[in-house]
Amino acid sequence: MIEKITAYRFERLDETLSQLNREDCAIIAGGTDVMVLHKSRRGVPPKIPKPIVFINHLSELKQVYQHHKDLHIGACCTYSELLENPLIPFALKNAIKTIAAPAIRNRGTLGGNICNASPAGDMLPLLYVYNAKLLLRSVNGDRMVAISDFIQGPRQVQRFHNEMVTEIILPFVLGDSHVVFDKVGNRNADAIAKVSFAGFVRISKDRIDDIRFAFGAVGPTMVRSIDIEKKLVGKTIPLADADIAEIVAAFDKIIRPIDDQRSTAAYRKTVALHLLRYFLSMKQYQPN
Amino acid sequence: MIKFTLNGRTVETDAPATARLLDLLRDEFELIGTKEGCGEGECGACSVFVNNLLQNSCLIPIGSIVGADIQTIEGIIETEQFKILDESYSIAGGVQCGYCIPGMIMASAALLSENPHPSEAEIREGISGNLCRCTGYNMIVEAINLAAKKGDGL
Repeated sequence: MIEKITAYRFERLDETLSQLNREDCAIIAGGTDVMVLHKSRRGVPPKIPKPIVFINHLSELKQVYQHHKDLHIGACCTYSELLENPLIPFALKNAIKTIAAPAIRNRGTLGGNICNASPAGDMLPLLYVYNAKLLLRSVNGDRMVAISDFIQGPRQVQRFHNEMVTEIILPFVLGDSHVVFDKVGNRNADAIAKVSFAGFVRISKDRIDDIRFAFGAVGPTMVRSIDIEKKLVGKTIPLADADIAEIVAAFDKIIRPIDDQRSTAAYRKTVALHLLRYFLSMKQYQPN
Repeated sequence: MIKFTLNGRTVETDAPATARLLDLLRDEFELIGTKEGCGEGECGACSVFVNNLLQNSCLIPIGSIVGADIQTIEGIIETEQFKILDESYSIAGGVQCGYCIPGMIMASAALLSENPHPSEAEIREGISGNLCRCTGYNMIVEAINLAAKKGDGL
């Protein structure tokens, strides 16, 4: 039996938003997550329970530009497009090179990775440490949301059905900053993370001006604690062993991973704390 | 009706927009060179070119390729690049059971088109989305290396 499927593909963003305003739809950008999530038998189209709107052809969602020094990234930029774009920071590009493999990077989009809201979403720890904001657009206008407020839990985001994430905004970062991304999986390419970690630090002379960490795949959403980060601001590097131990102990309390088919809670926690300790040792980069 | 270009020819289908490109290629157009391995974008056996970019056809709903230019392994078989890859894979012993090979060849071709003289690390990165359970990869890497030398820019 052939089931009827309703799908839309408009030439313009405004027409797409009008349709979203009329009807609750599943939005498909690259499809790399949706197609797996709703996969059925061979030869049978995935069963997606809502009408579908395709958006990955919309050029309005592929712009990358600077505005008041902030970097605006169109939600439908694929990873490959980001790698080729001169405006994307090197730290982000280095991380993207470790994500997926060429074929998926040619298809998966930054907006899709965010809206899929997987606890193991590869770009999420990085976007958290960049304090990324999302521009949500609807027929009623625009609103801006911090990524940490937008993502509420596994596959849960704070998006009304008439809205679409159209841009990811990376706020301007002062001075020299170092960004690190680590991912632990069964395979270098195309693996879903067992644990991931992003660290961000800005140092002037030997003093830490700003430091941020986010852990992926060890909780329902990314684990980040601004309170813990604040404890390190103003300290000089190299950090004292006692300072490192205090920060690691603080995260030990708030990181509560689970056992699943990919890894165990104990492994995830141990590795997450090791990655943190390694980052705090500041061996991953050479301060000026 | 969804219309696109398939191996140089304009085609259309009335399959649903969520149908996987992989199923359409194999079942409707009988292009069975493109294989299904994992069906989740992890093995690369279903690799095709979409507007000259390597992609996994198991993850592509056909509603998103309206007007696109799709090439499968059958579509590149007449190219000089394919002939050199074919020969190099034979010489290096890069093929055992063969199931992954159409995808491997697509990934090899994509790599050499973008980077005609890749290093070993770049070759391994280029085929990192493709799984082979027979060769242990070394012979495939060697085959691509050989093709890069013979093709010299192809």
